[in-house]
Amino acid sequence: MNKIDNSKTGRREVLKGAGTVVAGAAALATGTEVAEAAGTAPRWAMVMDLRRCIGCRACTVACKAENDVSLGRFRTVVQEKTVGTFPNTKKGFLPIMCNHCEGNKEDGVPPCVKVCPEYPGKRMTFETPDGGKIRYRGGATYKRPDGLVLIDAEQCIGCGKCIDACPYGVRSFNPFVKAGKKPENQAADKCDMCKERVANGIDPSCVNTCQGRARIFGDLNDPTSEVAMLVKEHDLAKNVLLPEEGTDPHVFYIDPDNMLGKIYKKRTKGKLDHYVDLIP
Amino acid sequence: MSKLNRRNFMSLAGASGAALAAGVGTSKKALAGNVTFENGGRDFSPVTGKERKAIPTACWQCVTRDSMMGYVEDGRLKKLEGHPGSIRTLGKLCAKGQAGVNQVYFPDRILHPLQRVGKRGEHKWKKISWDAALDLVASKLKPLRDAGTPELFMYQYGRHKASQAATMYDFMGAYGTKTIGNHTSVCEAAKWVGQESLWGGMYDNWDYDKTDYVVNFGSNQFETHTNHIPTSQRLIRAMVDRGVPLYTFDVRLSNTAAKSTEWVPINPGNDGLVMLAMINVIMNEGLFREDHFKYMRVSADHHATTDQKIAAIKAEVAEFTPAFAESRSGVPAAKIAEIARGFAKAKSACLVTYRGTVMHFHGADQERAAMLLAAITNNLDTPGGRVMGVGAGWSAPSTPAAKIHKGLHIKDGFKGEAAFPTHHVSHQVGPVIKDGHAGRPKVYWWSCYNPAFINGDNKEWSSILQDESIMPFLITSTITYDESSQYADLILPDVTYLERWDWEDMVSANQIAEFYIRQPLIKPLGEARCQGDVWPDLAKRIGFELAWTDKKDFVRQSCEMTSGVKEAGGFDYMMKEGVWHDPNDKGNYGFYAKEVDVSGDGVILDAKTGVYWNWKKAGVASEADAMSAGYLGTKGAKSSYVAQHIEGKALSAYAPNTSFTKSGLLDFYSDNFKGKGLPAFPTFTPTPEHEAMADDELIMTTYKVAVHSHSRTTHCKWLAEIKHDNPGWINSKTAADRGIKDGDAIKVHNGLGEITTTAYVTEGIVPGVIAISHHFGRQHSGIYGSGKSNPIDGGASPDPDAKNMNWKKHGVHPNAIIPNSSDPISGTQRWMDTVVRVEKA
Repeated sequence: MNKIDNSKTGRREVLKGAGTVVAGAAALATGTEVAEAAGTAPRWAMVMDLRRCIGCRACTVACKAENDVSLGRFRTVVQEKTVGTFPNTKKGFLPIMCNHCEGNKEDGVPPCVKVCPEYPGKRMTFETPDGGKIRYRGGATYKRPDGLVLIDAEQCIGCGKCIDACPYGVRSFNPFVKAGKKPENQAADKCDMCKERVANGIDPSCVNTCQGRARIFGDLNDPTSEVAMLVKEHDLAKNVLLPEEGTDPHVFYIDPDNMLGKIYKKRTKGKLDHYVDLIP
Repeated sequence: MSKLNRRNFMSLAGASGAALAAGVGTSKKALAGNVTFENGGRDFSPVTGKERKAIPTACWQCVTRDSMMGYVEDGRLKKLEGHPGSIRTLGKLCAKGQAGVNQVYFPDRILHPLQRVGKRGEHKWKKISWDAALDLVASKLKPLRDAGTPELFMYQYGRHKASQAATMYDFMGAYGTKTIGNHTSVCEAAKWVGQESLWGGMYDNWDYDKTDYVVNFGSNQFETHTNHIPTSQRLIRAMVDRGVPLYTFDVRLSNTAAKSTEWVPINPGNDGLVMLAMINVIMNEGLFREDHFKYMRVSADHHATTDQKIAAIKAEVAEFTPAFAESRSGVPAAKIAEIARGFAKAKSACLVTYRGTVMHFHGADQERAAMLLAAITNNLDTPGGRVMGVGAGWSAPSTPAAKIHKGLHIKDGFKGEAAFPTHHVSHQVGPVIKDGHAGRPKVYWWSCYNPAFINGDNKEWSSILQDESIMPFLITSTITYDESSQYADLILPDVTYLERWDWEDMVSANQIAEFYIRQPLIKPLGEARCQGDVWPDLAKRIGFELAWTDKKDFVRQSCEMTSGVKEAGGFDYMMKEGVWHDPNDKGNYGFYAKEVDVSGDGVILDAKTGVYWNWKKAGVASEADAMSAGYLGTKGAKSSYVAQHIEGKALSAYAPNTSFTKSGLLDFYSDNFKGKGLPAFPTFTPTPEHEAMADDELIMTTYKVAVHSHSRTTHCKWLAEIKHDNPGWINSKTAADRGIKDGDAIKVHNGLGEITTTAYVTEGIVPGVIAISHHFGRQHSGIYGSGKSNPIDGGASPDPDAKNMNWKKHGVHPNAIIPNSSDPISGTQRWMDTVVRVEKA
């Protein structure tokens, strides 16, 4: 139940409740983004409740189908790991995807966007739900005022810098889409939070099919949204992947059993073999 | 959003549609104000943003058959997801379901009829027309029927349910053959036989929405289960939302075990023993509840008092102490006692069992122990407990059966193999046919079934199909070339489930029946034809008519004749909405406690059993004869059962509505079993092969993973990508004893043969066991399932994605070294009893 409420009071309340989110607010007024008329964008975020993830891979396959993701790469995966010694053995599951990072505190630009040679590109306008307009800059990779980090294949030159720069390694080349500005290369690709579904008020495909409701999607700027309430209730501001990278990820993990540190297989620089969904 | 019913689902969809009118696309006002995120029901192209056409339908990747939505873009199926208005699935769909799209478009699909031109297995075929194909079939079937030997036509199916089964049975009845085989003995027949001997009709549901405690023996329901999506999501939510504990007994750390409050490792074949030890604790510590005892029979006496019953149960389980159970099962006695106490003291509790428990020697008896454990704690057929499942009861058109309507006795295994093969012994159909003493079909037609892959000793099955002298004409309806269809004489290209009509009826997880339909999302590819459309055509060619013209007509007629669906708007309503349930239905609980009027003509009380039965309906000559012969002494009397006399009342109780003749009591003491020399009361019977094991031998068990069905999904690329190889799970100690390290090539062998795989050395399995999943090692499953295109041209379009495929391993098939060996009670294939040796390859 992600009721979208864009009242400014509501937004302030959630910001008070979740420290690191403040970076998001700062970013709107700094860097390359320009706040124009009064208007408040949603801030889309995902909460992964690891208590509820049963490792069923419905999200992985739903994503494959929704976006027709080619073989050999993924837009979301579930990592799993067995730990302990028989009979005291445990196994945990960790769904991972693009974190739709806010970017570092200094300039509010995620690392993938920062390295994109085509960013900042064309001037774009984001119309907020409350009728305001926020101007921002597009690019082959760019961050929209609602927090979604997106790829514009038409602007892409297929250089792969964003793929290398992402500390999470969740980007890959799409073998079926040419880079618009350099068609001899393939365009970069990754999770876009099912932006067309979201734009039409339908939850993302992976969220929709998650049986345990381990994936919860919504607007962090709306204090009544489930994601905002969960972030507050479970104090999830720092329960993100690689907080030390300072990327300010917007995928938060409810993890009372501290499985995150045990399961998460980080990317090896220059490789993507951690971002493969493979059941042992 | 999960509690949306159909009506407000649709109205919400409308509301958001209105909101969207303001501006479609990203960064527009579509999200303005108070739009609530919907739980699916609509989908949009990620490329163009265009809304896709949404059609309600139903899944078929496994028997769960979730109601779902299909999304079509420019005539091509793009996406599937759960039906948000379904009370069963609550809008969810599993990984297999999501990959249903692959079933339509995999590049090795067969899209035109093929007639064999070389020898069986030579892969030489010619493309023929449907007209020629059906004339050929009719030329084989008509003479058999005309000669009064319709039983020499055998049909065997793997996954047929609801209207697909109903249309097939209608045709077969009108044709005249009863030689119709199924696949249930490789599935879980022991479970049903155990249950039928007790409460009549079967299929237990677990009432997770209301339960307070769950104990699970051998069911991997977070990954795979015959009612996976409806039950699994309710269980994980019960755990997290309401703190319901889940204890899983399993040889292997499945995902279900991993997500349990506690994984309790157990040696194979001992589930029933641990249950008996739990019963021992509960009885001796006085933790039982007497509420359900009046419905139970636990000794030869049908009229025992509750105190006598308590004493009888105590006596029966006295030897099964937790300490004894520990000695065999490896589960610590204290753990058994702890879980027994928790189970008995919980306000309500579910006792779950599945293949891990029942696919063993005396598996049916282990299921009876499970029922007993539920019953003595008043968790049988009570809210929050193990309850009798309900599914939709459809009415359907039917054609009168042929005058000559008979079958060969080849479905129930070899003579004496199984005492109660009420779900048949399907894995032995091939060997019994080869044996020949009970006759051999002249025409064998199988569909949605791959006997040369899915049965034990599958190479033997393969050789039976290959030998033309055993069965002269083989027909298969299939979407793909496989281990069995390679030997057919005629391949008929079936539609996928996404291209056909059906009504559906799978059990609900909330005790309220859901009626739902499957409708085509796209036109069948190529020349693929639905069998339900083929039957009426074939009937005409043979010389008879069916009561329906095609599958759509069958479904239409059914919708117009089924009470409830009809009033809701019949076929038109179902096409639009996909699902229907009675909004006034309160759920199936407590049916056994209903008082019954026994004043009817011919109803008498049988003194011995306490059964009210109708001697007139039973066809007995006089009341005196009926009284003298008694209920149990009168053949067919169970069909005239009326009620059970319990504490001075006539109650509906547990009617004997299966092949077991019994009273209305739960027959924990079973005359049926005793009469066949089997344990009358649930007990522990060691597995003979395990008793005779040498020190260096291991038990091999098989299992399913979350992303595959047994044999129908390896060609689905999105699933094969995630799981395509099946290493043997082996405990680090067991491996070390054999000098085996993780990733080593290993040989697994026994008298039947040898397979080679790699070792997955893990702490997630009990020592002394090797577990190998049973999906892989496909001879033919196309590029994605077997790494090579099939050796025939099926006429499907290539998939440009194939060049991106990056896996080279395709696993090994454990069935090659698993004998076809039946539980002597139920005829179930004993998948979990195989003894092997394992060594470094």
